[in-house]
Amino acid sequence: MVLLPRLYLALIVLGASIPCRAGLSEYFNEKLTLTPLRDGKVASTFSFSTLLKGGSPRDPSQLGEDDESQHYTLFPLGLGQILREYGVAELHLSLNAGKWNYDRWGYPLEPGVGTGAELWAWLGDGGVRSVDDRWKGLRSALAGLFCSSLSRLDEHRTTSPAETFKPEGSLPETSHHQLRHASLPSENVCTENLTPFLKLLPCKGLSGIATLLNPHKLFDANWHGLGVHVLWHKDEGVEVRLTFQGIFDPLRSAYVRKQDWSFESLFARKIEKACPVANSSEILVTLPQTGEYSISPEPTSIRNSMAVYDTKLVQKPLNLAMSWPHDFDHLAASSTREPLTSLSLQRTLRESSQLDGHLTVSLTNHKDTSTDVLYLETMPWIVQFYLHTLVATVEGRVKVDAVSNISYIPAIPHSRPTTFQAVLSIPPNSTLQLTMDVSKAFLRYTEHPPDAQRGWDLPPAIIMPLDDKLNSPRLYTPNILVDLATPDFSMPYNVIIFTCTVISFIFGSIFNLMTRKFVIVQMDPKESK
Amino acid sequence: MNPPAVPETGNLPASLRDPSTLFFQYDSVRRSIIAAYWVAILLATPLWWYTTSIERLPLPISQASQEISRPLQLPVNVCLQESKPIFAPLLQVSLDRFTSSRILEGVQIHITGSAKCETTSSGNSYIVKPGQTKLISGRALEFPMRDARSVEDLTSTLVNLIVPHLAHNDKSNRAVQFASRYRLAFSLLNEDASSGSGVMGWNVEHALTRYITPILDRVSHLHNFTIESQVQFHAPLAFDVQRLGNGEHSLSYEDLTVFVNSAEWTLSSSFSNEPVIHLVAFVPSSDHSPLRILEADGTISNSNAFILPQWGGIVLYNPSEGETSKQLSSRGFQDVFGSFANQLLSLLGVPNLPAEIQRDPRDRNTISDWQLDALLRRRTLEAVAGTKETLGSFIKLVDQIDNMPIGPSVRDDVQVALSSLNKVYDLASTSLFQTFTSSASAFDSSSRAFFNPGMLALLYFPAEHKYAVYTPLFATSMIPLAIAALREFKIWKQQRKQTNNG
Repeated sequence: MVLLPRLYLALIVLGASIPCRAGLSEYFNEKLTLTPLRDGKVASTFSFSTLLKGGSPRDPSQLGEDDESQHYTLFPLGLGQILREYGVAELHLSLNAGKWNYDRWGYPLEPGVGTGAELWAWLGDGGVRSVDDRWKGLRSALAGLFCSSLSRLDEHRTTSPAETFKPEGSLPETSHHQLRHASLPSENVCTENLTPFLKLLPCKGLSGIATLLNPHKLFDANWHGLGVHVLWHKDEGVEVRLTFQGIFDPLRSAYVRKQDWSFESLFARKIEKACPVANSSEILVTLPQTGEYSISPEPTSIRNSMAVYDTKLVQKPLNLAMSWPHDFDHLAASSTREPLTSLSLQRTLRESSQLDGHLTVSLTNHKDTSTDVLYLETMPWIVQFYLHTLVATVEGRVKVDAVSNISYIPAIPHSRPTTFQAVLSIPPNSTLQLTMDVSKAFLRYTEHPPDAQRGWDLPPAIIMPLDDKLNSPRLYTPNILVDLATPDFSMPYNVIIFTCTVISFIFGSIFNLMTRKFVIVQMDPKESK
Repeated sequence: MNPPAVPETGNLPASLRDPSTLFFQYDSVRRSIIAAYWVAILLATPLWWYTTSIERLPLPISQASQEISRPLQLPVNVCLQESKPIFAPLLQVSLDRFTSSRILEGVQIHITGSAKCETTSSGNSYIVKPGQTKLISGRALEFPMRDARSVEDLTSTLVNLIVPHLAHNDKSNRAVQFASRYRLAFSLLNEDASSGSGVMGWNVEHALTRYITPILDRVSHLHNFTIESQVQFHAPLAFDVQRLGNGEHSLSYEDLTVFVNSAEWTLSSSFSNEPVIHLVAFVPSSDHSPLRILEADGTISNSNAFILPQWGGIVLYNPSEGETSKQLSSRGFQDVFGSFANQLLSLLGVPNLPAEIQRDPRDRNTISDWQLDALLRRRTLEAVAGTKETLGSFIKLVDQIDNMPIGPSVRDDVQVALSSLNKVYDLASTSLFQTFTSSASAFDSSSRAFFNPGMLALLYFPAEHKYAVYTPLFATSMIPLAIAALREFKIWKQQRKQTNNG
């Protein structure tokens, strides 16, 4: 029995080294990273990556013709068809719920943590179908695949901020590529999105690390989000990376004193068997630098102060657990206030009336050197900026040179969103505050969402530090809610009838006055006395 | 305080003026105000009518009903090669019996006897030659003609070859609905690959070239195909498998109907509207292996494959004990793709040859010319029947629902369908293939017209709805207008009478 997994591994390694099939070879790697955070929570990042060796994005100039047959072993067919149909070179979709707390949780392993749905794709130009047409089709196809309202990411929300969303893989050089980006902060992620997500995995949720993806526990987490990333690496092939991130709180219950956690307590599941087709299947646990703790079972190896478990080799069922001898010190955790990231973000919208508001963005630089960041707002047209009121202040004093390189594409009512992009330089250890007046739109009757009184979620602003030369992470501000003037939807017919009555009353009076014939009536003066 | 000066009759004090002398109290001004309103209303009415009415273009209804009631006869000429015309008249009589019993509805077989039949390449003409065995090669049939009794035999053989679906009265509807493009989805499903008995991969491209491509090439005139394949490593069944005494496991007939677990298996994505033919190889988990199919009487069936009509085919593949390779073995390819090929043929509606007929060994095609012609004939008849039915329902529907808009695209589709249908009748006697193409285009156009989303546009906003909203405005405004006009008309009539009298 013990020999069997080894044999498996040997077979798979053999299969990987000798390409015995005529088609493209495919590799599946799964990884789970668990990090105990200093506030007692546990960050978990699942990453399932399938590489289609030698695959390449479809040339957009061939989109009108019949495609070659698609034969996949590990690569998800449902997603592969969509990528081929719309000639997508790179695709990133994230569906998240909750606010990512950068100060306490640090940078996430997967940077796309904006609340709600975010989709961005690089599409090659040229060929019979235009980029916008394919972008529309792609949205609808993904909406169908993931059972979410992605088709609402329409042209009212589509922008093209290519500086912020640079391709993470390579793009084919044969054609010019364009970016399309849209976000829908009001979209919620739930179990109906996870079910199709699991079906894209070679081992579904039935073996390997994906067993732990238990919707009952995942959607109960303080923060959770799933991501789909499709990249093309020039020398390797097309990679699909499916990710799930969650922030779990072992200390949620008031009776729990220790920050101990295990697979059983976090996911209510154990890993019963390894995924038979995974090339590598690793669980990484970040080990705390200080304090006493114990971890069981014994890790396969230790790498960069991380415990590594190979699910193929470890004893199954695997119920990884970490425990601490002492109670969790809430006081100490809250007293260490120093944020984990070098930037802290805040964004608010003050609304004094139904027509106007006041947008404030605060960026705090915790470093000892000044830092430049790229600030991006992709605002739907319902909130429009008065750019001349833009004021940057540092610690209460107006600083004119803090904002530079502004690029601004104003909104067009009922169609295009605003794209506002600027480079902000924040002095060391200080807070830069940007304020701007905004006007709120008056919507047409049919443009209101079904729950109009709730207000509109505005997409997060995106901050990208410019000094980190290598792959600087994008930071997302929390999204904000704007309250627009909403009509009374309860009695439209009463309103119509009432308005019609008033109009016809006024019309009748004026018409009567115009066509009335005045005559002289003789009155006997004696009679009137 | 002086008492106010009392004006005498007809005289006003200097401070007041006679209202009839004011310009806006002139009869003509008042009348032109009323007239202006009415002119505005009368001019606006056509505009209102135009902007609120539904576009209903006239349809060629009489032409349609004429085409629908027209019967289609596909003529088939069979040349019987004999030195003296002995059997030909007998054969014709025997075939006419079939025609009169309506078995051969839509097809008319003409027999000619000749000493030297010309070989043809048209799908309408066949040759029957005397021979030792029943053998087909190309569009010729060798048949051992001995006496009058063999005429009966030849009749049924010909009917079976020319219109097998009518002859067998095939009601099972196994074949998928006609479409010009199908998506062929090949899936290798492992019930549970982690249990140790999985097939981790297959060299599907090689197998497709060997088993499937010859079929697709042969029917390429009828359909285009998009091919895709996938492997799944966890495909659980939605029901429990029965365990037999000898350690084998079985599926009953009831299990087969619920075999496809569409909740768990993602067999094909739904991003395109092309109909999908699924061909599934199912590898049971080691707990359920080997898996067999039970006959209705409880015995184990020889076959391990079954067809779900109009959906696709499923092959159960039990890896043998000795198989160590994680790839599909060559025996597996033969089992699985051999069955796939047969399933694909019957799903596409390709008829089987009658058992007693042999094929010319020189003919290397997977589908003989006779079968292909029979398939074309069947699809043509189905498409024409479908077109007639769709057009009939369409016209009935349009007739019944007055609020249904008919745009130019719908009208054009109907016209194309009718002209294609007309072409089918014209071409029926010349070329079978062209007849088929026209019938397919007629069917396509008629379905497109029937399912045009534009026809639903105003269905949910009926005129009553609009009137209910606007009546409070228009009715109340019209009353003063109408009364003023009526009053003015009366005054004008009175004045005329007075002037006439005076």
